[in-house]
Amino acid sequence: MTTRPYRNAAWLLMLPAALLMAVVGVVPLVAVFNYSLHDIFSLRDVLWVGAEWYGEIVTSPRFHASLLRSLMFSAVVLAVQVPLGVGIALVLRRTGRWAVLGLMLVALPLVVPWNLIGPMWLGLVNAETGLVGQALGALGIGFDWKFTALHTWILLVAMDTWHWIGLVVILSYAGLSGVAPEAYRAAAIDGASRLAVFRFIEVPRLAPALGIVLLLRFVDSFMIYTEAFAINAGGPDMATHFLAIDLGEEIKAFNYGSAAARSMVYFLIVITVIWAFARLRAAGGRE
Amino acid sequence: MRALRAGLPAAVLMLLALFILLPLAQTFLLSFLATLPHEGVEKGTWGLVNYRNVLATPALVASIGNSAVYVTLNVALCLGAALPAAYALSRYEFLGDRHFLFLLLAFRATPPVVLSLPIFILFSRFGLVNSPVGIALVHCLFNLPIAIWILETFISAVPRALDETAFLDGHSLCSFFLRHLIPAIAPGIGVAAFFCFLFSWVEVVFARILTVTAGKPITMAINALFTFQTDVGLVMAMTVVSLLPGLGMIWFVRNHIARGFALRA
Repeated sequence: MTTRPYRNAAWLLMLPAALLMAVVGVVPLVAVFNYSLHDIFSLRDVLWVGAEWYGEIVTSPRFHASLLRSLMFSAVVLAVQVPLGVGIALVLRRTGRWAVLGLMLVALPLVVPWNLIGPMWLGLVNAETGLVGQALGALGIGFDWKFTALHTWILLVAMDTWHWIGLVVILSYAGLSGVAPEAYRAAAIDGASRLAVFRFIEVPRLAPALGIVLLLRFVDSFMIYTEAFAINAGGPDMATHFLAIDLGEEIKAFNYGSAAARSMVYFLIVITVIWAFARLRAAGGRE
Repeated sequence: MRALRAGLPAAVLMLLALFILLPLAQTFLLSFLATLPHEGVEKGTWGLVNYRNVLATPALVASIGNSAVYVTLNVALCLGAALPAAYALSRYEFLGDRHFLFLLLAFRATPPVVLSLPIFILFSRFGLVNSPVGIALVHCLFNLPIAIWILETFISAVPRALDETAFLDGHSLCSFFLRHLIPAIAPGIGVAAFFCFLFSWVEVVFARILTVTAGKPITMAINALFTFQTDVGLVMAMTVVSLLPGLGMIWFVRNHIARGFALRA
């Protein structure tokens, strides 16, 4: 790779983007931080409370429980979607011109507005009218997503996988496109097994794409709100009460100071993960 | 063994198609079913009654326009700001370039709920609530990073000789962008536009809080249809309508969709 010339005048080209990010990102973030240190009764009636909200949040058992649930959900989502997405991308690479059709197919759920995904899946598993609900009923399998926690979780993971598998497949497919055909031919001549091809030829090419996939899927599933709320509003008995649902409740109850502190805590968690990720990538790049 | 190898991709594709299409099929089917009795149409009959009702409801028709306006505006804003930034990041090193990339990643990852409150207060002070400009601006939060990332990938694939010859030929930066760079990365612009369109069209948190009394987007118009006696057929018909632009965009970028993410290690 050729080195790029060092020129600070390039910032002139960055100006529009930097300005936009400042207005919609940096300024609101500073405002949230400011709110989080106050008790806000109305915009005119504000009381300084310092770090009181933070102390209250990070020591509350409710926060710990939600954090644990969100981490669990992200772990399950990643464990299901990453292998599945990579597998589909590997298969698509071998289907020639069918690959375009496959990519279009997995992209479909991405264009569905988020607030419609919940109702769509509830319609699907409805025992009387849903295609899947009726099929399960005919097979004698009771699927009670409303009151059985495990079933709510299965429904949520299935729905989230349906929604986001396209992103995993598209990014993995893009990563695999970087593998030169000669590499496959060389491997065939050497009599390398399929597993060896995957491990030593495909995985190195996939690694950067997978890094981004892991990161995006982690933060989006960790902060899932709209779809999870639509399915069971955090129920049954708090079993799907994730971090973002706590925050949504607090905003709806007009607890602005506390909601802002909660937002900052979430932001810090997410930023820590990204920072660790960036460090790992930088370390990997130097090797 | 050989037959198994040949059959595997086909089987995987079929299963995948079943999994992806099933929820959509249910929606599509219901959109043609009268789930409530309407004038001259009995409950349970099949036909276009739901689609006729969509067209006959001014709030629904208006919401399609509202969504289209802010999404288009957002795509224009993102591409306009991302193109020079992606060019700078691709061609030069400068003070804080890595930090800027980190900042972009951080804001792409920031959940909208976290920033919804100050955005609302800030935007209401500048009269940007109920206006498509407000939503178009705030959606840049997650779309601008994506647009910069995709365009940077495509620009980095263009050899630097293209810039150098153009500048030797006396092109200014502006005319180089218009005459040479943009045509060279046209598919990249298509893919970036697709993802910006996509994430702006499906987003609901900001779109909800920034439309209090007017300018309701398509997503909120559908939300408003859920009442104590929901016309499920109408909801499904409107859902199908809301998918159409996205389907068009998928078709438009189908051959380039996976090319925007080749990563600079």
